[in-house]
Amino acid sequence: MREFTCSICGYVYDESAGSVENSVVSGTKWETIPDSFVCPVCGAPKTAFTPYEKNPVNQVSSSTDVNIGHIENLKELSPGEISVICFSLAKGCEKQHLTAEMEAFNKLANYFKSKTTTASAKTLDETAKMLDDDITKGFAVANVAAQVNADRGALRSLVWSEKVSVIMKALLERFAKEGNAMLENTKIWVCDICGFIYIGDVLPEICPVCKVPNFKIIEVERR
Amino acid sequence: MPAYRNVRLCTKDCLCLYVCPTGATNTENSVIDVTKCIPDCSACVDACPSSAISMTPDTYPPQQSKTEAVVVAQRALGFSKVQQAGIANAIATFSENSVTRQFAKAVAKSNHLMAEDILRESGYMLPQSNKVRELLEAMLENIEPDFPRDAVELLLKRLQKTK
Repeated sequence: MREFTCSICGYVYDESAGSVENSVVSGTKWETIPDSFVCPVCGAPKTAFTPYEKNPVNQVSSSTDVNIGHIENLKELSPGEISVICFSLAKGCEKQHLTAEMEAFNKLANYFKSKTTTASAKTLDETAKMLDDDITKGFAVANVAAQVNADRGALRSLVWSEKVSVIMKALLERFAKEGNAMLENTKIWVCDICGFIYIGDVLPEICPVCKVPNFKIIEVERR
Repeated sequence: MPAYRNVRLCTKDCLCLYVCPTGATNTENSVIDVTKCIPDCSACVDACPSSAISMTPDTYPPQQSKTEAVVVAQRALGFSKVQQAGIANAIATFSENSVTRQFAKAVAKSNHLMAEDILRESGYMLPQSNKVRELLEAMLENIEPDFPRDAVELLLKRLQKTK
């Protein structure tokens, strides 16, 4: 009997035990579990599971040469990026209880947000394509850059957002297939700290990605 | 340095009320009235048995610098998340289907939060940092009539430089 670990939250599927939540009886081989299986803790797809290793060896990329071009690539920040940075700085001021400063950053964030242009008639398929690029390329490059430069702060942001991205990709694929049925009789939530999306009626105690207590995971209402 | 109470941790032991020389801790909404705080007093912090009160720092050290490789990679990824948030946000606003709007709103929010976090780690974590100051100073060149210049001026004036 083998065990498989969820790469998002660390839940272990034990073939000898099965998974009550997924109605998988004990003794079920991993290969025979349907692809619709999701992690009972965080909702990650079956593809996010890897064979369990007692002492996992940290995967270190063999490539230390990060091909990121030259400084010319550092274009000016777009209004969308400045807006996001200002929203984040507003939260930083809120955490320091600097109310006037928080309001000023929010004002700037909203100004720059109003200057962004979003081409109309786009669909979620297009975000799904960009998300695929992030997962296959963007995170790979950024992870190497952070590792080579021993930047554990950047690495932390990448660990969280890569997990959130994997979950989001699975949900976009499900929504493309199931449509409204995916959410018809259940709730959807987003973690206010890391962006983790959860579908279900009862939240886990803590966010499976960033480990914040679940009062910071907020329901998205249907309006 | 004023004091701050985390109401989620407060177990109403009232010691902060007894030791406060100015009554700053005794308020109708549980938020400490920092205008009454004596600078660097911290009597309430020391007295609280549940560690629910802490002092808010006035000054911060300079931030750890970011290498060019990290900045470029974080920016590229952050830009992608910003784009995705924008598209999802448009769908959340304009779709005629309420479930689609709901799902798109969750996707937009998630992307926005990831973008915030990823771009924060490209050197914009601390509001008082030099890099944020540079960003604000560059904004002063904006001459658009609707640009909230007053917000930038307030921030440059009130956000202390790191030591």
